[in-house]
Amino acid sequence: MVVDEHILRIEPDGAPRATILIVPPLFEEANRTRRTLVLAMRALAAKGFAAAMPDLPGQNESIVALEDADLALWQATLAEIAAGIDGPLLVASVRGGCLIDHRVEAAGRWRLAPVGGSSLLRTLLRARVSADREAGVTSSLESLSEMAQHEPLLLAGNRLSPAMIAQLGAAEVQPVNPLRGVTLGTDGIAGAPLWLRAEPGEDAAMAEAIAADIADWSAACDVR
Amino acid sequence: MTDTAATVDATLRALLADILGLGEARAAALTEDSGLFGELPEFDSMAVATVLTEMEDRLGIVIDDDEIDGEIFETYGNLLAFSLRKVTD
Repeated sequence: MVVDEHILRIEPDGAPRATILIVPPLFEEANRTRRTLVLAMRALAAKGFAAAMPDLPGQNESIVALEDADLALWQATLAEIAAGIDGPLLVASVRGGCLIDHRVEAAGRWRLAPVGGSSLLRTLLRARVSADREAGVTSSLESLSEMAQHEPLLLAGNRLSPAMIAQLGAAEVQPVNPLRGVTLGTDGIAGAPLWLRAEPGEDAAMAEAIAADIADWSAACDVR
Repeated sequence: MTDTAATVDATLRALLADILGLGEARAAALTEDSGLFGELPEFDSMAVATVLTEMEDRLGIVIDDDEIDGEIFETYGNLLAFSLRKVTD
């Protein structure tokens, strides 16, 4: 498998202690969190880590059409990209990114606010129902799910294949080891769920907290 | 207000603050008559979808398509009344 996707890499001064492969949330949630995740990558570089965030096929600068992508392709692509990275590797995934990170070979995994695929799909289908209603068209989660078995659907600007929709609807976070699972709040990372926000924001303090937590976890995984 | 009503009210304000980026002060200042869809520019069809899914997750309810009409999102009061009805059903 040949992977031809852009990878945003932020390097530390000197040789990296390890590389952190960042797997962003999926679809619109990726745009809403990108600024903060890149700030976290910069903070990781300041701590001596290299940080890499690839485009998933069909997203951002990819030359693959989103309609030709599905979760299996994203999982395989990440595994391939990880295999090409020298030195110790940790994977840090956010939200829907946690659904596609388990095929990567890594010394450890870090997951922030994982979400089931069915919940993501429900929101995408509802956005379509809501947009249809505004346009005077009647649709429902059921009628759209039925259509999605035979033809691609345009959901909130994403043209998704029947395979993608079926895989997303069934996708659950897979058990991996070693894993640090992190949520938002007093026991985890302080900050608001930026991935839900209608208009993208950014949070430098949250980015610092993410980087600090990943750095601590890398030490626990014996990646120093 | 009963305990349940107070909890649902707080949950709803928090999720609107998260999704619409209102900030705590604006979320706390919402009244029964505060307009939502059509009034708040951030409240687009994607935000409506996100609000429904977050309501299900945070309130532990399931919302069917045919329960949704435009009125629910007209005002904060309407959304609160709908949520309370779902939680106590």
